[in-house]
Amino acid sequence: MAVASARRRPRPVTTMNDALGTMPEGPAAWTRRWIARRLFAIGIVIALVLTVVWATTPVAYFWPGWIFFAVLFPSAMTWSVRLALRAKVRRPLAVHAAVSFVISAALVAIWLLSSHRIFWPIWPMLGLVIVFAAHALFAPSGSTWREKALAERVDVLTRSRRGALDVHVAEMRRVERDLHDGAQARLVSLGMSLGMADELLDSDPAGAHRQLAEARRAAGDALADLRALVKGIMPPVLADRGLAGAVYALVVASPLPVEVTMELPAERLPAPVESAAYFAIAEALTNVIKHSGASFAWVVVMQANGVLSMTVGDDGHGGADPGQGSGLRGIQHRLEAFDGTMQLSSPSGGPTVVTMEVPCELSSPKT
Amino acid sequence: MRAVIAEDLALLRDGLIRLLTAHDVEVVAAVGDGPSIVGALLDHRPDVAVVDVRLPPTFTNEGLLAAIEARKRLPGLPVVVLSQYVEPLYARELLSDRGGGLGYLLKDRVMDVGTFVESVRRVAAGGTVMDPEVVSQLFEKRARDEQIGRLTPREREVLALVAEGRSNAAVADHLVVSEKAVSKHIANIFLKLDLAPSEDDNRRVMAVLAYLDS
Repeated sequence: MAVASARRRPRPVTTMNDALGTMPEGPAAWTRRWIARRLFAIGIVIALVLTVVWATTPVAYFWPGWIFFAVLFPSAMTWSVRLALRAKVRRPLAVHAAVSFVISAALVAIWLLSSHRIFWPIWPMLGLVIVFAAHALFAPSGSTWREKALAERVDVLTRSRRGALDVHVAEMRRVERDLHDGAQARLVSLGMSLGMADELLDSDPAGAHRQLAEARRAAGDALADLRALVKGIMPPVLADRGLAGAVYALVVASPLPVEVTMELPAERLPAPVESAAYFAIAEALTNVIKHSGASFAWVVVMQANGVLSMTVGDDGHGGADPGQGSGLRGIQHRLEAFDGTMQLSSPSGGPTVVTMEVPCELSSPKT
Repeated sequence: MRAVIAEDLALLRDGLIRLLTAHDVEVVAAVGDGPSIVGALLDHRPDVAVVDVRLPPTFTNEGLLAAIEARKRLPGLPVVVLSQYVEPLYARELLSDRGGGLGYLLKDRVMDVGTFVESVRRVAAGGTVMDPEVVSQLFEKRARDEQIGRLTPREREVLALVAEGRSNAAVADHLVVSEKAVSKHIANIFLKLDLAPSEDDNRRVMAVLAYLDS
């Protein structure tokens, strides 16, 4: 569909150019173009006229057949190739088949128009069939390979998009629940305490004081809840300092000694990639601290040739299983949304190394 | 006491001015963006600056950077940095000049008016005030530390309060014990952590924070 319409679209433009060109050129050029476009019809008319001429002569041999052949052969070739080009799969093979078919038909026509003795076209036709079969069997070449790659890519995109959406929806649900059970509930409680303090102010000043203290505590707790929530969505240090600063802050807060190597451009990475990369590194480091039994960890973050690569390793006991924790799967989904990958190497006895890569072109200075 | 305030949200700026004015702190200037801070501080030379971390134009951490810059130009200028969140990395950067007269507090602390004003006064007097949240994050980081493991729970409590920048009297007050008991705890703590004992409050806070952040 798309191919056909794309081919058709230029037509009005050509017509317009023709119309524009026609005016100064005069009738001669216009006539030339008119003839060029109706070559087939003109050919058929000439052939028919010659057939009538042949009918009036006593010659038995149907010589106008050659005129028909000359008119039909190029047109048949053009139409069949055009038709073949519309094929959605294995387009080169379709074109091959069309060309072979028209050539075969032409050979039969020549045989019919010339001597009828032996059916010699069988030999070249056999050759064409063999060549076609060879093409079909042994050359699942360019286009099929590309189609296969495209199909795989569509699969990956479908999966990663679903994964990313799942992560996103789960994230939104968590935010909703945290707000509902946390800050919102605490603000309700704060309002109640203030209301009660208001009632008690004259009759029981000491009671009013207690309610006010309670209100202040609720406000503090609400703020703490919101802070924790914000940290989970977009850590402020990441917003402030970018990936390098935020990774450095992670390391500063880590109970394990962590060696950091960062080769990042001075400009900020695109915000979504930055965020996915930060959470991936944070999750990997958390795993090291919680599960690896390591005494030392290292982090390498590099951006080169349009790829952001992150490696987190430790000297722990290894044996990490990506299927086990939802954390690692979460990282994978987050990274897949950006065409990123995650690889885990964690033989029993260690060391564990998590390698993550995300394609990452630098954002324009505006963003 | 004269103060300069940097806070972009009018609601909070007015609240801070009212709060400080009510406690005999004269607010000589209130600015609303990062680039104006250093100029205002150089112009007014206040006894203390109260600066929000996140300010226009970039809404990231220009308040923090301006505070560090201002202290380079005016060494020892007392600054209280306020923020919606605290980050041990920022605490480390603020403390790196080891000059004292520095506070790093969550905005939440403003709600406890008495303690907040007291903190501002302490910073103005050259003390160091660190938010309990920073201290608890530093403690989390040293959770597996053997030396800290040797402290008794009470000693850990005292260490945290010292790290927040409290004096012996304030620690004693908070824990409802005698000052003598507190100094005994502190002597034990410093011994167990191999820290050189110091009578100077500020140097003591610095030593403890440096230890926790190492």
